[in-house]
Amino acid sequence: MRFQDASPDARAVVYAGIQADPLVARAAGRLADATHDQRILARAVMNGMSTTPGTWAAMFPSLFGAGAPSDGPERARSEAILALSLEVAERGEQVRSQVRGAIVESVTEALVRRRPEIGATSTAVRRERRVLFDGVRAEIHPYDVTVETPGAAEAIDCKWGARGINADVLHQLDDARTHAADEDEQLTATIVVFDAERSCAVRLERQTAPHDATRLIALEDLDRLGGR
Amino acid sequence: MDPITTVGAAIAAARPAYDDLAALAEDVEDEWSYINDLASAWVERFEAVVDARGGEPAGTGVAEAVAALVSEAGLVDDPHRAIDWLSTFPQVLLVAVGERP
Repeated sequence: MRFQDASPDARAVVYAGIQADPLVARAAGRLADATHDQRILARAVMNGMSTTPGTWAAMFPSLFGAGAPSDGPERARSEAILALSLEVAERGEQVRSQVRGAIVESVTEALVRRRPEIGATSTAVRRERRVLFDGVRAEIHPYDVTVETPGAAEAIDCKWGARGINADVLHQLDDARTHAADEDEQLTATIVVFDAERSCAVRLERQTAPHDATRLIALEDLDRLGGR
Repeated sequence: MDPITTVGAAIAAARPAYDDLAALAEDVEDEWSYINDLASAWVERFEAVVDARGGEPAGTGVAEAVAALVSEAGLVDDPHRAIDWLSTFPQVLLVAVGERP
């Protein structure tokens, strides 16, 4: 089993530009530290229609209401997430969708780097990589995030919503895991979804592609990425 | 909309907007079963909250939160976005009434 950079095709070049957008890094940085309610706020605003901050503040009394902190770091983070999410929402529909996806990937990478055994600057955590196995044709689509630690490798695919869970991605993740096992290697297959576990469960229930051995990390559990 | 004074009233006030989202989402015919399963799963969760806490007073700001959420849902006019909102709407509602989704 070995890892390789994805081919720099047209899609990759365009998407690299999205990933490099400073808005992605700023939003991901805030969301990596966010509470569950703050992450739901981001999800709602980034997929919302309104661009008036007051509308969203009213919708989240736990963050902006009378009982919420009126100042301090929690309040500052809530306000920053609201502002950044509105910036995403104000992009055109197609760009907004791409930016949201890139943010989920970036949050995932940031949280994975918090694992005690990895470290913030480790070269073991990579983006847009393929996993190659002897005698097996390489998958076309790279994994969003990989952890390339010998003996504890992981291939992670990231989705904005539960609807993004489909047969192709489940097959690809499970194939990677089983091919690794064929080579006596351990590879954890993980799907990260910036959506509620309940919605993911409904989506998975309908899938016949193998997924019992694929780890699901939903919105409620994102922090588990940092601790495995 | 009746005054929202309890958790049960908050969820009852939000339900028609959720049902409207589901109806809009059904325009995506390929996802019809998923849409209905998804909506049923969340409605089940709403009902569980009502059974457990329906008579509790709604917290400060809950009435305004529900009004804002219902208004926002009413702006959704794209069936694909409605599918995403079928998952987002319940999370916002449940957090507003102090529940984990």
